[in-house]
Amino acid sequence: MSQPGQASAGSVAFGLSESECAKIWTVIAAYNEGSKIAEVVSELRTHLPHVVVVDDGSADATSDNAFGAGAVVLRHGVNRGQGAALQTGITYALGQGAEIVVTYDADGQHRMSDIPEMVRPILAGEADICLGSRFLEHAGQVPWRRRVVLRLGRWFTLLTSGMRLSDTHNGFRALSRRAAQQIDIRLDRMAHASEIIDQIRKTDLVYREVSVQIRYTDYSRQKGQRSSAAFKIALDYLVQRLLK
Amino acid sequence: MTAFQWLALVPLGFLFVISIGNLFRQLGRWRASLPWAILWLACGAAIAKPDLTVAAAHVLGIGRGADLVAYASVLAMLLGFFFVYLRLRQLERNITVLTRHIAITGARRPND
Repeated sequence: MSQPGQASAGSVAFGLSESECAKIWTVIAAYNEGSKIAEVVSELRTHLPHVVVVDDGSADATSDNAFGAGAVVLRHGVNRGQGAALQTGITYALGQGAEIVVTYDADGQHRMSDIPEMVRPILAGEADICLGSRFLEHAGQVPWRRRVVLRLGRWFTLLTSGMRLSDTHNGFRALSRRAAQQIDIRLDRMAHASEIIDQIRKTDLVYREVSVQIRYTDYSRQKGQRSSAAFKIALDYLVQRLLK
Repeated sequence: MTAFQWLALVPLGFLFVISIGNLFRQLGRWRASLPWAILWLACGAAIAKPDLTVAAAHVLGIGRGADLVAYASVLAMLLGFFFVYLRLRQLERNITVLTRHIAITGARRPND
């Protein structure tokens, strides 16, 4: 069994060869995730050699715990928001030669076993960006209140960007190098998810939705966005569109 | 001239002179100083000759000069808030860029 901090040699069991795993850089934006981040990083590191945690100005031991679990750690001296942290991680990964960048949540709600399906269309050259969707096959597992808010988000995206997606605010994404170079997240906080979709529409990037499963635990519910935050996210996004 | 007019016009005149000075010193940046010069001049004119606001209000279809001053003040404040908001956004953007640069140059790598 692989130890935390070391990528396994038997990555084929994961569904990807070692050379394919070596192309992937997983970027995690983390804010006060000290109690969970080591577990998330250790799990990823069993198969993926490159895990980048961007500690977004946490007040706890997020940085040390992520580093101890084998991640590259970038630390924001002050909290700048999830969008800013993801862009920091993506910029770093590109600088290190990443061929595929996967964005992944720090609270353990994503499943590592979904990564192969997420990156396969990119490895095959069929897509530039894969967007995780919890509604393609696992809609029944989404709490009803979250489902309502996410459906509203879907309509909002359709209205503002004209993109018909089943899940517009899923943090699980895979980007080819070309896509990661073209996407420039300028909305520092949570509205970056809408911004990314908007940028996909404006470029010639080929996207695909891939079914993923979200693990709703007490911890992830506690750490996740409140449904009421959706209005602030929508406002941030609209202001950015008006003023840019 | 009333005491209030003296109290208001002296600093306004001072501010007007500074704005005009800036305007001539940095002609390339006239957009930054000309609006201020106009604002101080308009304020000074409204205080020195209150009848001017009544005349201007009638031209604009507003009943009283005081109403014109109130509307103009609210508009000026809203514009001011908007420009401050734009500056804050730019400042936030700069902080993010700087924070990102520091984070990347100070990366902690497991193999280091």
